[in-house]
Amino acid sequence: MRYPELECLVLERRGPVGWLINNRPDQLNAMSAKMRDEFAVAWDVLDRDPEVRVIVHTGEGRAFQTGVDVTEIATDGVGMERYRQSVEDFDLHFTSWHQQVWKPVITAVNGICAGGGFHWVADADVVIAACDAQFFDPHVSIGQVVAVEAIGLLRKMPVEAVMRMAFVGRHERLPAARAYELGMISQVVDPPDRLRDEAQALAETIARNSPAAMAATKRALWGALELGLTDACRAGAKELVSMWGHPDQEEGPKAFAEKREPRWQPLAPGS
Amino acid sequence: MGYETLVVERRGPVGWLIFDRPQASNAMDATMLRELEAAWRELDRDPAVRVIVNTGNGSAFQTGLDVGQLARDKDALREQSRRTRDATLRLTAWHNEVWKPVIAAVNGVCAGGGLHFVADADIVIASSAATFLDPHTSIGQVSAYETIGLARKSPMEAITRMALVGRHERLDARRAYQLGILSQVVDPPEHLRDEAQALAEKIARNSPAAMAATKRALWRALELGLTDACRAGAGDLVSMWGHPDQAEGPSAFAGRRDPAWQLASGSGK
Repeated sequence: MRYPELECLVLERRGPVGWLINNRPDQLNAMSAKMRDEFAVAWDVLDRDPEVRVIVHTGEGRAFQTGVDVTEIATDGVGMERYRQSVEDFDLHFTSWHQQVWKPVITAVNGICAGGGFHWVADADVVIAACDAQFFDPHVSIGQVVAVEAIGLLRKMPVEAVMRMAFVGRHERLPAARAYELGMISQVVDPPDRLRDEAQALAETIARNSPAAMAATKRALWGALELGLTDACRAGAKELVSMWGHPDQEEGPKAFAEKREPRWQPLAPGS
Repeated sequence: MGYETLVVERRGPVGWLIFDRPQASNAMDATMLRELEAAWRELDRDPAVRVIVNTGNGSAFQTGLDVGQLARDKDALREQSRRTRDATLRLTAWHNEVWKPVIAAVNGVCAGGGLHFVADADIVIASSAATFLDPHTSIGQVSAYETIGLARKSPMEAITRMALVGRHERLDARRAYQLGILSQVVDPPEHLRDEAQALAEKIARNSPAAMAATKRALWRALELGLTDACRAGAGDLVSMWGHPDQAEGPSAFAGRRDPAWQLASGSGK
């Protein structure tokens, strides 16, 4: 499958792994209006490519992502007003969660992750980071509110750490080692230049699992963040049963018994 | 106003609310229960206060309801029993809808009802001498509010263990740090107040209006499912658009100077 040429993002496939790379290194990968639009396209392209079983998202240069492009906001004469309607309607399209991508997504944080950069930490399934990655949220230090990305994070990790970042703003940074202790990320890669190799290896490991089972599992787990415990289990039970009768359910135990790699059904596009 | 059981004071932009019944391990008697509501309100309304630190005098932080008084004079706590039943407590910043950032600085033992002030703070730091325990079930009481709050904010196993082991075990500051219940352990313990003041002064450099809207968004998120919480939070986000701080922040950043924020006060009511 041929991927479109994008201005602010790089799309490529390495084996079963689709790569989405933030590519505005000179702006610390800050999100311009253009980049925002391209994210929507990029997630859809990787989601539709049947060869892609797992997606890795990382950044070019010394930052992973640093939120909205403040320079563009300050100079384009439109500013945040451009986004008013979509934010008020919570009609966003720049993360895999927004785009309802049910393939596993790994965020590989290669450097600074600041402010809006947390959207892709909050909305990924798996997060790993280079040992020199740093996390901070400068919103309140420049008179902005932080909401959506911090709300996502505080569902997934100890809340106090998220609130401390939200209120301390740019006056303190969380190092990768502490993010690991807190369970915000699951792997710290040292030396940092091994990050992409480790992300690829992890993605290939995940790609050995049943695409259909992973999609249903992902729907169940993210759906659980919407509901109380009993309701979440009840909804999860539906996802569970949805796999019964699927060929992968036969193939998995069979391959295991025969000590060979399973041959999974490809995920139907848009499922 | 004057307080019998609390010390309320200002240090620069930081308001301090200090439990002051050290002889009773800062346990809450009827007077303190009354005074807490007044103290939070006073600090919330004072526009000079941008951040609030909550700590205790003496060797304890807070040890919950004064069981001695409860045994001696049940009537004195009747009003509080009613509020507990009706879920209309006014002990903590969260109960009193304080939208300024609140730091709990745990200076020693924090037991039982003392955990309210940890659960309901935005940021928690502790001296290396601090310990945490929940003796409710050891004296035949149910633990609910404070452990429910903590279970929302921290790995749950640690909280249910604390609730069920009761007074027979304590969680130390280091383990609470590992679990993400708190974000900083201060050693030696006597540096706790200096560290809390320094942290509060950093926070006080940020926009009061943006912090209040952020706090509303994050605490409300604990009430709702993810998508509903994000949707409601998006409303808080947009509520700042057009506020003077939104222009002042980037402008000060570009000019490499400290921003001059609009003062916000008494945002709670």
